[in-house]
Amino acid sequence: MRHSPITIALLLLCKLAFVVTSTEDPEESKIKTSDNHDNELFRVMEGGIEYPYEEVLNVRPLPHNHLLSSFQFQMNSEPFYPGQSLHGFETYDHYTVFPKSLEPLLRRTDVRKLHLRFTRGYWDSEEWGRLPHQGFKSGGSGVELWAVVEGSSKQEAYNKWKSLANGLSGSFCASINFIDNAKTNYPVFSFQPVETNFDGIPLFNETNELYLMHASLANEPICTENLTPLLTLLPSKGKSGISSLLDGHKLFDSIWHNMAIDIQTSCIDNDRYANNGECYFEMESNVDVVAHVPSILSRNKHPIPKPLGGEDLHCDLSKPYDAYQCFPSPETTEIQFSLSDIFGKNISGANDLSFTHSKICASVSDNWLATIKVDDGLFGTDDNCFELTENRNYDIYMESGSTDKVIPVDDVPIYASRSLTGYGQDHGGLRTVFTNPTHKPVRLSYYESLPWFMRVYLSTLDMEVTHGNKEGFTLNDIVESQYYIPSIDRKRSSQLEFIMTIPANSTIALSYEFDKALLHFTEYPPDANHGFEIESLIITILEPIPYQLRTATLLVYLSTPDFSMPYNVIIISSTIMGLIFGTLYNLITKKMVPMEEAEKILATRSIKYKLTMLKQRVVSKFGF
Amino acid sequence: MSTLNIRKWAGVIFVLVYVIVGIPLWYKLTNIYRAPLPREYIKTLHDKKFHDVHVTIPVYIRSDVYKFPDIHEAAQVQVNHLLNSKEQNVQWSLEILCYNETFIELEKEQGREYHIVTLQLDEFVGYNAAYDSKNTVVYFDDPTVARNDLPFFVAQTLVEHTFNVEWTYLSSGDLMDSRNDSVAINYTPNVHLSINLLKGDGSPVDWEIQETLTTYFTPFRKFLSPLVNFTVDTSVVYFNDLNLHSLNESKEIEWTDVSHAIDLSELSSMNYFSEDSALNLAIVFPSKETNPNGFSFIKTTEDKTWDSFIVPQWGVLVVNKMPLEANSVISKNYLDAVFYKFANDLFELLGLTTDMNGLFSPVITVDSFKRIRTLQNMNKSIETLWSLIKLTEQFQQMAIPKEVLEKVKKVLDIRLQIVEILNNPSRGDDLSWDKALTLSNKMVQNSEEAFFDGQMLKQNFFPQEHKLAVYMPLMGPITIVLFSGVVALFKETEETPKTEKDNVTSDEKKEIEETEKVGAIEGVDEVN
Repeated sequence: MRHSPITIALLLLCKLAFVVTSTEDPEESKIKTSDNHDNELFRVMEGGIEYPYEEVLNVRPLPHNHLLSSFQFQMNSEPFYPGQSLHGFETYDHYTVFPKSLEPLLRRTDVRKLHLRFTRGYWDSEEWGRLPHQGFKSGGSGVELWAVVEGSSKQEAYNKWKSLANGLSGSFCASINFIDNAKTNYPVFSFQPVETNFDGIPLFNETNELYLMHASLANEPICTENLTPLLTLLPSKGKSGISSLLDGHKLFDSIWHNMAIDIQTSCIDNDRYANNGECYFEMESNVDVVAHVPSILSRNKHPIPKPLGGEDLHCDLSKPYDAYQCFPSPETTEIQFSLSDIFGKNISGANDLSFTHSKICASVSDNWLATIKVDDGLFGTDDNCFELTENRNYDIYMESGSTDKVIPVDDVPIYASRSLTGYGQDHGGLRTVFTNPTHKPVRLSYYESLPWFMRVYLSTLDMEVTHGNKEGFTLNDIVESQYYIPSIDRKRSSQLEFIMTIPANSTIALSYEFDKALLHFTEYPPDANHGFEIESLIITILEPIPYQLRTATLLVYLSTPDFSMPYNVIIISSTIMGLIFGTLYNLITKKMVPMEEAEKILATRSIKYKLTMLKQRVVSKFGF
Repeated sequence: MSTLNIRKWAGVIFVLVYVIVGIPLWYKLTNIYRAPLPREYIKTLHDKKFHDVHVTIPVYIRSDVYKFPDIHEAAQVQVNHLLNSKEQNVQWSLEILCYNETFIELEKEQGREYHIVTLQLDEFVGYNAAYDSKNTVVYFDDPTVARNDLPFFVAQTLVEHTFNVEWTYLSSGDLMDSRNDSVAINYTPNVHLSINLLKGDGSPVDWEIQETLTTYFTPFRKFLSPLVNFTVDTSVVYFNDLNLHSLNESKEIEWTDVSHAIDLSELSSMNYFSEDSALNLAIVFPSKETNPNGFSFIKTTEDKTWDSFIVPQWGVLVVNKMPLEANSVISKNYLDAVFYKFANDLFELLGLTTDMNGLFSPVITVDSFKRIRTLQNMNKSIETLWSLIKLTEQFQQMAIPKEVLEKVKKVLDIRLQIVEILNNPSRGDDLSWDKALTLSNKMVQNSEEAFFDGQMLKQNFFPQEHKLAVYMPLMGPITIVLFSGVVALFKETEETPKTEKDNVTSDEKKEIEETEKVGAIEGVDEVN
């Protein structure tokens, strides 16, 4: 045996270990182990082993042949004890279904609540109604992160937040590490946790405080490299259960997609957690995606687009058509597809880890047929919900002859859009239009964070009623309270928050102006002429129903310098200095002489003269 | 030519201003701060390693039956003789002292333990060591006493057995012995240990890990804590069998195939934890679907269904032959056996192995390794400082911030503190060695912080060529104009003929005339 020299010593050590901890003799226990080999080493739990993990997929057809698929994964961490020392000899951390890549980070940075969003695309709320999960699980286009961090001071909390951002950046392969002072805001009205005044959030050290921080990276590209880390967070690693459907190629080939992670800390007994009580993390992860079914089906059929043959054309029969002329008919209302067409994969097996089985529900109206395909058989249920119980291949098959009829979408309490106004490179304006289509006034909070190079003039804030009762409304009637923090150059963005009420059946526009600042030469990104992305405006509806929506991101053009400028400046200034110096030097050191004298001097200096002299010397030396 | 002198003066003053004010000012303004590192001192420490170190370990000797009033002196002579028989690369010696029970007891109450040799009369000659203390027992019989062999025997036991580790590293071998370097991780005081249960499929599994760890691993952690502090986590990973299923189709499998096929990428927990280095224990069960008959390359015996392998500098892999049934609970019995093997291998992974025949207690081995690690740390940090010196000398334009100098000074201060502890024969207890080790860890940390200083390594310095290139458009024209002007000015005095024609020598006159004759004066040519 290779390690024989130390083995005996270790035997003794191990004996020591056993003597210290138990009275059991190691030799004896070894014998016992081998005797009861089959019974003792592994035993099967009759009731099954279950971990706190759940997964649900909800598919819902939307108008105009769109399909919304919402994946939901929920998991809890193993309990931990905040009062326990990290370096105690008895401290062991256990990870089962909760991702090991997140928990140490969360514990190190004292995060009590974490929300991370990766969203991209356009949600057409006029067609599709409200956002999934009332908008609380979606972000603005790009990456959005907000968290409640425990800290003894704002600076300490910020340092932890920065460390959190760096950690997440590595875990999710995203540029979250670019979040810095200038991008971090401390929201006052928005994003407040449901637990009012942070009461329900555990505080592990009584002298600390909780800080809510928010930052977003507008229009950050979201791609496969962000999805793969998300899948590895799941215990099934995307290899079984509904997560096996998720594939980057298909998921990002969609009209709108959204990935969300929400984590919160919960404690069993809120009075005791600071003194060695038991706490755990709860995580919910959502993936929502809207796909246009006919275009995906046609792409499956013809991966490379090519013109259809005459027999495949569907002409609009209400218009003239013949062999040479065909107006394409409006979109088909007949459709049949299976989830494997949309996602490119089958569901491989069920998830066995959870308290409940993996569940797939189709929210369809009566004119739709939804069935589950288990290996080769098709089965249907009354409520169109299917549980995956066995380790087999599953697929969902859906068809409808009238896709224009779907479950009615929920009314959107408010529509909002924001746009840039003005022209030129030195100033501009922002105009946000709110439309309340309902018969009730809507009370909402408005959260806007603008980069420091947009210098906002709050005095120009103006309100205009463009539709509805135009009389009797002033800005003060609409805006209940406002919170504004002006920006500090390169250190802080400006933060604008309002609580406002939009009257029923009316459209109002809020506008204000800003100046565009000049940036330092090194502050421009590599593609400076692309412009600067401005993060979405976030609107949280407080009454009548809780709902959250975000406007699209904006692209602001700043005056961009010619980047060869510093080199030119060096060259030109050096040349000028050289010229001035030369002139000055000449003025001081050169003398003026008459032409004759100059000619004489020149005569002795010319090459011809010198050559002649040389010739003469040579001649005289050799005596010719 | 009354202005000539003034013009010459003006030219000279320009040159003087350029040389005396301009160049130093330019150099100063474009220069970077380079803190003066104590190069010579570090060079001496590097060239003459441990020249000021003499590790002295006190050993107390006591006899139960016979009283030997001079045994410690006699043993001291023998020990010195034995130690001097080999050239030491780090000076070390044992100080044999007479056992003083009250002193030892008093010290023990404060947690300080010393090496003790107990002489015990028996029917044979031999030695033994206690498991749980730094006590060596030497058995002797009457003829030994009669032949006066006892002092030599004590000396031999001490040097070659009790202090075998020192004997190996300090006397006969190399301090930075690299026998285990390929397997062992670099020494750091804090190591993260990840214990993973891997399963090829997704059926749920549970294990009695907490029980195993608290009853078995906690004492082990406590025991090793003077040398290495562990933070431990456990996790259950599904759908990962380290790619071992890919070997299932191959017929003849060598161990090299396994090491090629194995994929540890998902298990690197280094990223998530703040410790510098991490070790892993992975217990792998094959998937029931892909390997229903288990891994064919695992040879099992009746009482062992798994095989374990050391992955160098990574940890230990325990591969089970058969897949687990769904909903299995892995019992403490199974885990105890795995952990027994793992604890063995952990010593090798931590580099705590010796040539010793395994007769001496782990307590003594760990105690010895405290000294060896301290010396190795000192060596390592001095090497780091020397590299820093070489680096800064190689890159003359690299900034050396003041913090680096402060760190270097701190390292050198700590070094002196350690040397004091090591050299002091009256400080030979547990706590002193612990303190020396802690200090040496701090020394390594500080030296590495000095070497990897962000300001220095950012490479945000201009190389000399770069600096010249940037300033050349300015310096070039000025320098050329200035110096060619001054040269012309001084030439002028040599060649300008005196205004009075009388002073022209006859030779010069002749030359001018001849020149005019050949039409060498350009002005004349032009006129013609």
